[in-house]
This record gives sequence, structure tokens and C-alpha cells, in this order.
Amino acid sequence: MAHKRREMLIDPLVDNNPITLQVLGICSALAVTSSLQVAFVMSIAVTFVTAFSSMFISMIRNQIPGSIRIIVQMVVIASLVILVDQMLKAFAFEISKTLSVFVGLIITNCIVMGRAEAFAMKNPPIDSFIDGVGNGLGYGLILMLVGVIRELFGSGSLFGVTILETVNNGGWYVPNGLLLLPPSAFFIIGLIIWAFRAWKPEQVEEREYKIQTVEAH
Amino acid sequence: MGLRNFFDRIEPNFEKGGKWEKYFPIYEMVESFLYTPKTVTTVAPHARSYIDMKRIMTYVVMATIPCILMALYNTGYQTNLAIAEFGASGWRAAIIETLGIGFNAANPLANMLHGLLYFLPIYIVTLVAGGIFEVVFATIRKHEVNEGFLVSSMLYALIVPATTPLWQVALGIIFGVVIGKEVFGGTGKNFLNPALTGRAFLYFAYPAQLSGDSVWVPVDGFTGATALAVSASEGYEALAARGMDWWSSFYGFVPGSMGETSTLACILGLIFLLATRIANYRMVVGCLAGMIGFSLLLNWIGSDTNPMFAMPWYWHLVLGGYAFGLVFMVTEPVSGAHTNMGRYIYGALIGFMVVMIRVINPAFPEGMMLAILFGNVFAPLIDYFVVQANIKRRARRNV
Amino acid sequence: MSEDQKPKGAIGRFLALPPDSVPKTIFIAVSVCLVASMIVSAAAVALRPTQAVNALKDKQINILQVAGIYDPNKDVLESFAAFEPQILELETGEFTDQFDIATFDDRDAADDPATSVALDDDPAGIGRQGKFVTVYLLRDDAGEIDKVILPLHGYGLWSTLYGFIALEENGNDIFGLQFYEHAETPGLGAEVDNPRWKALWNGKKLADETGELQISVTKAVPAAGADYHIDALAGATLTTVGVHNLVNFWMGETGYQPFLDNLKAGGI
Repeated sequence: MAHKRREMLIDPLVDNNPITLQVLGICSALAVTSSLQVAFVMSIAVTFVTAFSSMFISMIRNQIPGSIRIIVQMVVIASLVILVDQMLKAFAFEISKTLSVFVGLIITNCIVMGRAEAFAMKNPPIDSFIDGVGNGLGYGLILMLVGVIRELFGSGSLFGVTILETVNNGGWYVPNGLLLLPPSAFFIIGLIIWAFRAWKPEQVEEREYKIQTVEAH
Repeated sequence: MGLRNFFDRIEPNFEKGGKWEKYFPIYEMVESFLYTPKTVTTVAPHARSYIDMKRIMTYVVMATIPCILMALYNTGYQTNLAIAEFGASGWRAAIIETLGIGFNAANPLANMLHGLLYFLPIYIVTLVAGGIFEVVFATIRKHEVNEGFLVSSMLYALIVPATTPLWQVALGIIFGVVIGKEVFGGTGKNFLNPALTGRAFLYFAYPAQLSGDSVWVPVDGFTGATALAVSASEGYEALAARGMDWWSSFYGFVPGSMGETSTLACILGLIFLLATRIANYRMVVGCLAGMIGFSLLLNWIGSDTNPMFAMPWYWHLVLGGYAFGLVFMVTEPVSGAHTNMGRYIYGALIGFMVVMIRVINPAFPEGMMLAILFGNVFAPLIDYFVVQANIKRRARRNV
Repeated sequence: MSEDQKPKGAIGRFLALPPDSVPKTIFIAVSVCLVASMIVSAAAVALRPTQAVNALKDKQINILQVAGIYDPNKDVLESFAAFEPQILELETGEFTDQFDIATFDDRDAADDPATSVALDDDPAGIGRQGKFVTVYLLRDDAGEIDKVILPLHGYGLWSTLYGFIALEENGNDIFGLQFYEHAETPGLGAEVDNPRWKALWNGKKLADETGELQISVTKAVPAAGADYHIDALAGATLTTVGVHNLVNFWMGETGYQPFLDNLKAGGI
């Protein structure tokens, strides 16, 4: 059992990563990764919400009527998200300002709903909690990777601490403005997925069709 | 036919087992540039044509020659003009002084040489940086290094400004080759134009230098707004006050990215491409129609606050990268639409978008690059609907 | 609860009902909502005071920064006590006490037809302008006005920029300008937050000797001279134009000019 639980925690980091394999939760990954600090807080928030929502839903899973199943899950998740949002506004105001609507949008983060529906509805509370933590961390891992690349090369700093002195501040580094724009996260996540699948070829999806090629002359 | 004999004599060295086996692609490239490739189909059931990919690509490179010459001349001309005011500095100036040619903007030779000193480093960096990645992918993915890259790198070198730092040039072409082409499987499978993808990367990554609202004249201290930026803020009539009339824009004696300033040179290239039937006239017609139609519409609507509304179509034609994009990017066969009806629509969409971005979007003075990339993305969809419409039409016939 | 256990009591029997039965569906829906709403409202109520303090501090930090007296090690509320907030009637340039300073909100007032006017000539792109704004006075030890902090806002490229300008006691020398809320392009327009660019404002003058407003944010230095000119943001033409327009608008006749005239005349 302990071995299985460890797998639940470790598996979503690389082998079954919610972003790179399941390709869920991309929207917020684009929006909050231009600074590492924000990405970090977002990772914690999502981990918190996924873990506890999975746990609570699992606790009442035998009582939830199938017909209003999704609504009940949404209510639990939404309450937790509001809780997180209120906490951030009270104790981390600066960060909550930058995160703004994206905390609220954790409600619609497919990872949270996905784990609730796919795992928590069928498994006991503690397992669901661990699964939620694992998936939150898997999401966080990618967020941090993207955040490191975007902040380091986009603003020349990490966690707000200057690493590469930028030209605008009298240094030598010309920051790459593309990385500050949300679409750059698409490229980076794409490249990370590429790297993951080159490392673990079993993650490569089967081709939907085979490309026919004529032998080149 | 001494040259033919020479090729025949050295060919065994490049074939399998020969001592220069590895360099066969280079040999083949040079040989097929000069002669018809030996591997064209000749037997009856196949369609026969003298045209193959090598020839298409080399023709495109040949079509850019007027633009290259103009790029050399005008880059040098603009630089020398600015130097007359601000003085010369840097290693290029040192070379020119050593050679004793001077910075006289009235001397065509001095201009050409000075332009060459800007164009050549950019082109070499493009070839080397892009080439390395092209070869790496070719080796791993086991496809040949083909002339598509020569075209991409030439077009890329022509659409970057002379002021671009060389490391940015390298980053841009690497991005273009990898993200614009190789991740999709290489030449022929790219749905975006690699040269433009690289240029777009620079545009968004280093907008302060490359977004194109201030001019690119590589002399310290020289600043000014580009023709499109002036038109956007003060109206195109204000251009005359800055010494830019329609004819000088048409000939290309205005500042801009190296190869794109001269509409005349682009038209020469277009005639060559149309005559050799490399470029499909439908895309050109569509793109002109879209641009002229939409700009006439905007002229008619008019606007009190946005002077760009009043800009007539013939100014849109000669300013910025419209002509260059029309001739060398819109007509690019791989990333464009593949059905004949689709080609008209594809061209028109780009023509419409370029005016749309130039006139109505407040953030970007130039729109050709974004319009073409936009068109690239929509090309498969356009083809899909054209094919579906054909299927429906034919099905109705048989009811 | 496992299936072979016998349901005990009323609650046990109820829980043993199949989840999809109507009474159970309603019961679960109601109780989940009840529990969730209690938790959420408890959190909201308990945390509201802290949040209100945060929002207030955030605004005060901006005012402290633009006045150049922000010290991260000192308590914000304490430092802010140095300021004297006043509600200014723009048209007359006089302070007014018809509103309670503690509850007056500039943005609400600008939306309320009773306390705002729709602008015909609207270079700053703000639509409606409030007739009353909150300004902050910083007095020196002798009780004389040292600096005035005036709020301003206007449209840039993508968003409305909200900020403060700090003026010296003569009402003409700029001490600093700072925006606390905007959504301009990162790396270009968002460079309004760059400390090096903000530092350019220090020491500039609004109007020349004749009282003509000369301040400009443009690429080229205008005829009036460098004292009245702030260099444009590189590559951000429209944000620059926006900042230029909003500063000129707010420092002009429909903005703070009556107040600044009073200030110069020593009437404040």
C-alpha cells in the first residue's frame, strides 16, 4: 500500500504529468509563468485545491447522487478556490494582484475536475489526497520549469533577483520580450513535451494515420 | 562542354564509396543547379516535367538577385547618407577607410561595398547558424539537406534590418528552421514560412529594435520614424516633407529592412517567377485584389482620428514589406493554399489582413509579416472548404 | 460505510438510501451548499479587515513611492501619516469637505453622474471625469507644503494607466511620476515602471515662465527645451502618446490647473 501511494505521488511528476502527457491546465500555465514567484504561488494553490477537493469529494463519494455529481464537485472545488483567493488577498496581497483572475480560474482548471472525477470518485480519501498532491506537484513542476525559462531570459531575473543585468538597467543582457508574452509558454511547453517524449518514448501517442511517402529520388 | 566533362569526371568521388561521399548533397546541388538532374522521370506512365524541387528553389534564389543588389546599394546609400551627418565608426568604417573608397553616397561603388559589409555578415551568420541546425536535423531525421534552406536563409537575410545584432540574426533563423520547419517534418511539411517565422520571433522578442516604428539605419545617433509610422501618426501626405515621394519608395531609396525597400526589384523578381511558373499568379492576383479592395473601402469610409484610413492603395504597395512579401512569401507554394480557388482566397485574405493591421491595429505599423503568417495558418482550412465545395457541387450534378 | 452493515437509526437509514433517490439528491445538494457557503463566508468575514488594510497599504505605498519617502522597513500606515489627504474640487481648485475623506472613492465618484462630467474633448481617453479627486499634501516640519501628490489616469495602448504625479511646492516642478495600475505590453509600454525611466521625470517643469503648459513625452526634444521633455519609451509609441496626453490633460485647464494656480498664489 505504501509503495502504491508513493507511486501516486511520484507518477504524475514525469510519467503521467497532467500538463505534458494529459495536456490539461494549459490555460493558467500560459498566464502565470512570466514570473517565477507567481508561478510558485499558483503551483501551491493548485496543489492545495486539488489535494483537498479530491479528499473531500472522496469522503462523500458514496453519498453523491450521480445526477448532480459534477455540480457537487464544482461546489467543493469552488469553495476551496475562494478560500485560497481570500487567503492570498489577506496574506500575499502583491501576488494576489498579479494572479488576479487566475486564482478564480483554478475552478475551471481541468486538472482539479479531472482528478475529482477520475480518481476521487472511486478511491478512498487518503489515496485521493495523495493523488491530488501528486498531480498538483506535477502541474507545479512544469509551471516552475516554464517560469524559470521565461523569467530568466525574459526579465533576466529569478524570483525577482537579478541574474542577468538587463540593458535597460545598464547591464549587458538584452531581454527576450517574446518570453514575457503568454504565447511563448506554448513554445516552451511544446519543447518540454518534446524533451519528455524523447526521454520516455512510451509517452509518444500512436499516429492517427500513417504519412505515405514516395521514396525520394 | 568542358564543364560537363569536369562534373562527369569528379562525380564518382561523391557517390557511395567515393572519398567525398559525405558531400554528395553539395555536389548534387551544384550539378543540378547547372544541369537537368539525372533522376527526372522519363517513362510514359509518369507525368514528366523538367521542374523539380531543386530547380524551383534555385529559381527563387535567382529571382531575389535584383532585391539583393538593391539591398546592397540601398543599405550602403542610407548608411553613407547618415554618416555624412553623424560621422562613421566601427569596423566597417575602418575597412572602407583602409580601402580608400570613402563614404560618398553619390558613389554607387562605395554604396555597394558598404552595403555588402552589412549584408554579408548577416547572410553568413544566417547560413552557418541555420545550416548547423538544418544539418543536425537532417542527420537525425535522415532527410536530405535541400535547397529549401538556401531560399529560406536568403529571404530571411533580406527581411532583417541591417542594424540587427548578429546574435539576434542567429537566434531568429534557428527558431525559424526548428519551430517553423523541422518540428513539422522538414521542407514540404512546414505550414509556416520558416524565414517569416524567424523574423516574427525577432519582432516579438526584441520589439524595441525590430518592431519597425523607428528606422533601421546602422549609424549611431540616427533616429527617425519609418514611412509607415509617419503615415500612421501624421498621414501619408507628411512623407513628402521628409523627402520620401512615391517614386523613391518605388525604386527603393528609402530606409527599411535590407531587401524589401525596392518595389521595382521585387516586381522584376515577380516577372521572373511568373515567367518560369514557379509563382502561382492566382495568389498574386488575390493578394493585390484584397489589398486594393480593402484600402479603397477604408479610403471611402474615412476617419478623423486615424490618418492611415486615407492612405491610397498605391502607397500601401510601395511602403514596408508589402511588395517583397507578395512576391517571395505569399507565392511560396508549401505554406500557401494548394487549390486554385483556395489560392485566390488565400491571397485576398493576406491582402485584406495587411491593410487591416497597418491601418486599424494601433500597435503594429507594419502588417505584411503577420498577415502572411496568418494566411499560412488559414491555408489548410481554405483548402478544406474549397475541396468540400467541389465535392458538394459534383454530388449535386449526379442527383 | 460498508454494505453489509445494517443501517441503524433514522440517519443510518437515510444514508443507506440509494444516492440517486430524490430526497437524497435534494438533501446532499442542500447540505453541500450549506457547508460550503458557511466555510466561504466565514473565511471572507474573518479575513476582510486584513484585506482592506492590504488594499489601503498598497495604494499608500504608491503614494509614498512617488513622493520618494517610501521606506520598506517602516510601517506603511505610520509613514503615511505624514500625508494630509484632501478632497479637491477640480473646477475651483479648492478643497472641499462635503464628502467624508475616509469613504470617498475617486473611481466611484467618476462613475456617478452626480459627481462627474462626460468629456467631449477627451485626449486622455477616460470618458467621464470626476469633479472631485483625492489629493495628498506632504508638509515639512514647519507645516509648509513640501509636495503635492495628484492622481491621474488615461488610456495607453491596451489599458487605462492609473498613477500619481508628485509636484514640488511651487506647483510647477515635477518630483516624480508613477503608475500603479496598467496592462501595457511587457518589455515595451510596461517600461513605464522602469525606475530609470521614472527617474527622468524628476526635476522637469510643467509650464514655462509665461504659464504655458510645455511638458511633453516625445521622441524628439521640442523647441521648449529639455527641461520640459521626457524621452519616449523605446518601441512603445502609443503608450508614450498616452502618457503624454494624460499628463497634459490632467495638468491642463480641465485638470489641476485651477488648483496649481491657487497653489502658486499661496492660496492653499
